[in-house]
Amino acid sequence: MDERFSLVGVRPLPAETTLTKRPWYKGKPLLAAAFLALVTLGCLFCPLITTRDPAYMDLLNSARRPDGTFLFGTDTMGRDIFSMIWYGGRVSLAVGLLAAALSALIAVVIGTASGLAPRWLDTCIMRLTEIFMSVPSLLLVMLLQAALGKATVWSLALVLGLTGWAGVAKVVRTEVLALRRSEYILAARAAGGGFFHILRRHLAPNFFPSIMFMVVMNVRGAIAAEATLSFLGVGLPLEVISWGSMLSLSQTALASGAWWIILIPGLFLVATLLAITEIGNWLRGSSNKKHSNL
Amino acid sequence: MKLFKKLLILIVSLLILSLAVFYAARLAPGDPLASWYGERAERLTPEERAQAEVSLGLDQPIHVQYVRWLKNALRGDFGLSFKYKTGVLEVIRGRVGNTLLLGGLGFLLIFSLALGLGLLCAWQEDKPLDKVLCKLGTVTSCIPEFWLSLLLILIFAVYLRVLPSSGAWSVGGGGTADRARHLILPLAVVVTGHLWYYAYMLRNRLLEEVRSDYVLLARSEGLTRRRVMLHHCLRNALPSYLSLMAISVPHIMGGTYIVETVFSYPGIGTLAYESARYQDYDLLMVLCLLSGGVVILSNMLAQAVSERVDPRVRAREAMGGKGADRHG
Repeated sequence: MDERFSLVGVRPLPAETTLTKRPWYKGKPLLAAAFLALVTLGCLFCPLITTRDPAYMDLLNSARRPDGTFLFGTDTMGRDIFSMIWYGGRVSLAVGLLAAALSALIAVVIGTASGLAPRWLDTCIMRLTEIFMSVPSLLLVMLLQAALGKATVWSLALVLGLTGWAGVAKVVRTEVLALRRSEYILAARAAGGGFFHILRRHLAPNFFPSIMFMVVMNVRGAIAAEATLSFLGVGLPLEVISWGSMLSLSQTALASGAWWIILIPGLFLVATLLAITEIGNWLRGSSNKKHSNL
Repeated sequence: MKLFKKLLILIVSLLILSLAVFYAARLAPGDPLASWYGERAERLTPEERAQAEVSLGLDQPIHVQYVRWLKNALRGDFGLSFKYKTGVLEVIRGRVGNTLLLGGLGFLLIFSLALGLGLLCAWQEDKPLDKVLCKLGTVTSCIPEFWLSLLLILIFAVYLRVLPSSGAWSVGGGGTADRARHLILPLAVVVTGHLWYYAYMLRNRLLEEVRSDYVLLARSEGLTRRRVMLHHCLRNALPSYLSLMAISVPHIMGGTYIVETVFSYPGIGTLAYESARYQDYDLLMVLCLLSGGVVILSNMLAQAVSERVDPRVRAREAMGGKGADRHG
């Protein structure tokens, strides 16, 4: 039958509500959560599962292929990659979490302040935010990091936190703008509630769900940024083991075709980023989708 | 009048940006003399150092240096690159074409492919093809650009030896084919890194669109699904896609910079990386301003586009509604 003469707008009847509950695991990112838990536990308890000192340079065994002794092989400086993965994961995850927490804090304060401020101030703050966002973040991070001196876990997390807030701040501001006229905010203000009181008790619980996804994505972004910077040689130095600094040996690995030095830390990195994304997507929630009209 | 206002915003933005970058760069503890003199910087006597700092104007307070920089810049003199020992503009002029080629081709490819991919996914909503593409897309969007570059170099340059691993042309220069061969890998990384994000945005926008009432009306009037999708839904989704294209510029540019650095591709990105790393102040300033300017301009363009294509945005602004933000 021609498509022009088909029935449109037919909705399937809602399925009969059955008493058997949906299995609890349905629609949850179990695989991602399990992987993240595994990596986190491995990183937390790395002294228990690693057999070698990750920093020890066994020059006789440099750039060895993965085998029974060196599960993931060794890098060009003779360090055991299996041990480095877990110790390095600590650093990578710590940088990601710290940076995301810091940027979320800054974003909430700036976004709320901008949303509650008089219009001219709001415009000013938003313009400045836009200027801030206009420099490619890589350049900005390199500049700030250079100003802070040699990178450590803390300074790198600080820099990534300081540069990662703008997107979240914009969302917070939009949410606050929508909320600021609500009567309970007005009542709280009239009763003499200060900025931080209103923020914590009335605003934050309301915009928290909508920024949750972005904050999780910031964790992902910070981990990826740490890896990129350390790889380029402007992030963590070689002796601070992280997934990024492990990859900074790639140039020599490429020359000798030592695929494991590039592939193994990278796979851990990508799998972790993927798991975080899956969890972020789940947090964003599946909107109760209407039926397509097409 | 409106144009004038926009121009004013652009100029003020660039001024603030230049001030911020100037201060940040000067506060960094690196040694700018090292990039001017190279290895010799360490052998300079204290007197020679002092003299060099005076001649390069590095001995004065930062704000004096900034005002002088600004005065010169307004006259079109953006200073010297410490590393290359020639005018900043000349250094950039030699590289900008390469970046435009890589970034521009990447931009075109990303948005034409994303358009097709987004449409395909929306058309096949929740069917196996859509699901597979969504999973695949999520995976590609999680791969950091530098690592994808490494992987491709490892496969195509180290093991298969079919494509060059770095640069923009072979030693001694080459023809168009040679340049194209050097472009394949960097371009592949730029496109893969960004493609899914924009395809997914378009897909979700289209899925919202097909749930609106006008689609039901159009279908009940006997228009085919295909026609409704392409002539009605896509048409309504395009304004936000266009402004998305404009907003995407800083992201794609940032990605291009990283890819250039990994592939040692002689473009603006490699230059920016070098200048930030070795404190090549004047060069860094111009590169930041150039990047920032492009981004600010593209943001303005995004707004102009969505105003022109979707009169509701302008109407909302005219009514003074603060909620006139674009939801792209």
